Amino acid sequence: MSAVAEQIRIRSLSELDIARIVTIDERLTGVYRPEVWERRLMYYIRRNPDLSQVAELGGKVVGFMLGDIRGGEFGLEETSGWIERFGVDPDFQGRSLGRKLFDAVAAQLKGHGATTIRTLVEKSDSELASFLRAVGFQDAPLTALEMRIG
Amino acid sequence: MNVEQTTLPKKFHDAVLHWQRHNFPDYGLLPEAWEKYFPNDPEFCLCAKMEVGMGDTVEVGDLKGQKRREKPDEMGEEPAKHLLAIIRAQASTEFGSIQQHEGTLARAQDDEDRFWVLRVMAEELRHGYQMFHLLVSQDWSAVSGQKAEEMVEEILSMQTGSHVLDAFNLEYDSFVDNVVFAAVIDRVGKYQLSMQKVCSYKPFAASMPPMLREEAFHLAAGVIPMRRWVQRAAQGNVLVTVSAIQKAFNKWMPRGLEMFGHEKGGDSNIKFGFKNMKNAEAQSQYYEECKRMVSDLNQRFIRARLPKLSPDEAETLAARLIADRGKHEGISYEDMIVLPDRGFFRRKGDAAFTMIGFSGETFTEVEEYVRHLAAHLPEPYLHSRDMKTYVESLRGIAAGTMTREQAMKKMPALKRVGGMCPCSKSVRWVMDAPEDGTASPSTN
Repeated sequence: MSAVAEQIRIRSLSELDIARIVTIDERLTGVYRPEVWERRLMYYIRRNPDLSQVAELGGKVVGFMLGDIRGGEFGLEETSGWIERFGVDPDFQGRSLGRKLFDAVAAQLKGHGATTIRTLVEKSDSELASFLRAVGFQDAPLTALEMRIG
Repeated sequence: MNVEQTTLPKKFHDAVLHWQRHNFPDYGLLPEAWEKYFPNDPEFCLCAKMEVGMGDTVEVGDLKGQKRREKPDEMGEEPAKHLLAIIRAQASTEFGSIQQHEGTLARAQDDEDRFWVLRVMAEELRHGYQMFHLLVSQDWSAVSGQKAEEMVEEILSMQTGSHVLDAFNLEYDSFVDNVVFAAVIDRVGKYQLSMQKVCSYKPFAASMPPMLREEAFHLAAGVIPMRRWVQRAAQGNVLVTVSAIQKAFNKWMPRGLEMFGHEKGGDSNIKFGFKNMKNAEAQSQYYEECKRMVSDLNQRFIRARLPKLSPDEAETLAARLIADRGKHEGISYEDMIVLPDRGFFRRKGDAAFTMIGFSGETFTEVEEYVRHLAAHLPEPYLHSRDMKTYVESLRGIAAGTMTREQAMKKMPALKRVGGMCPCSKSVRWVMDAPEDGTASPSTN
């Protein structure tokens, strides 16, 4: 095991991760939006903080994956785990953090009764799609539809 | 990670609901507001939740490697007595915090903050209910000397001032206390619950994971409103100031540190396999985590005031302001939140009544120290009986009429408060139900 791998710790999301997640998002998107993340992370914490995981390297949060469990949506009666947000600090990409986060979230979702994990990805985001296929996602027998109304 | 839900026998369930009607009247607002503030979340359930699938093997202490105990009489007298005291103290904190929150809940400026705290209170009620489940589902009489009814009665009869731990014997001065308490005191709760996941008594260990998941929300219900307050303060809002938040920290941090027990203690918890850390180690981790919390708040303030700064620049500026106590780029040291020294305003543990100041300085003159406290604590709290008792004890120690040990014991201690429901001199919280189980206590 490398020194870097030894320092990586994957754990459940907590309220003190907000500041670092805001920073990671800012580094990825160029936009500082703490209010958005305060509201969004409160949702995942109150739903079940174990279903969302963060990666720490040397005590600093460098990646996160937010998940939830829901059932009965879109006619899907089975309990589904949803992976909805995911980010790794650009300085720490390429270290399999995404895979480690996914494994931890998937284990939690399974432990809480999910039989399928679902997510959506933009067709233009081939990098993310490749990552998701690499961890085991396949095309779903569902089609995402949308209609602009404003 | 499945969870089993159970309800208490009717007379105990009704006793909790009866207590709720007297001590937590806002509870009824929660169901009607649930969909607005917590859409799609499972409805609140007043029940005990036990995690299924906890390991069967003791993880720490003298019994490490043995099978976890499932009944009090399997533990031995001394460990059973010790654990019973922990369960009672835990139950006291749950009901005690509701009594504290209720006093100032309606003063919240934002409805969202109010309903977050209301949910916190409901979940604390469930946590108290959980502890009652542990007390009444097994026979503890060999070590308690009491029937289950009497133990429940005693805990439900406690009021602010007669709870087991000092943090639960202080009144709130404003809604700032509701929020800072959730961030500071519930954080101690998180540590205790986390440590107790290893407990050698299986029903107690199995109670912890569901409580911990709920506790995470409680901490967020403290930290997120504070983040919003410091942002508004940075933008000129004077209704909730950094100074008010700082003083609330100064009020609650010393009590939070003391909730871990004496810094030299905790050996029994390890020996009996009840917790996986001694008091001092857990307290140190807690203090460092609180430091991180205020550091995040300070950066939130700086970036709200100076949006062009990068995260690293904001961190550097905060460190500089705290180090030189100066003023830079229009932001002063007073705009930053700083944790009080671990010895500040202590009444229990190593630093009890040692007159250590906010920054760790030592005072030798009582009256000078009292003036220092007055400058650092919320003004309404200075008017409290708690402060009066503390200052009298300090003066007694200085005059040689009281020892530190006597002063430590003088602060509010557990006492029976009659065991009566306040609505009637003849009705107790726990009612014996007739055999058909149809009776319930009077409602008000």
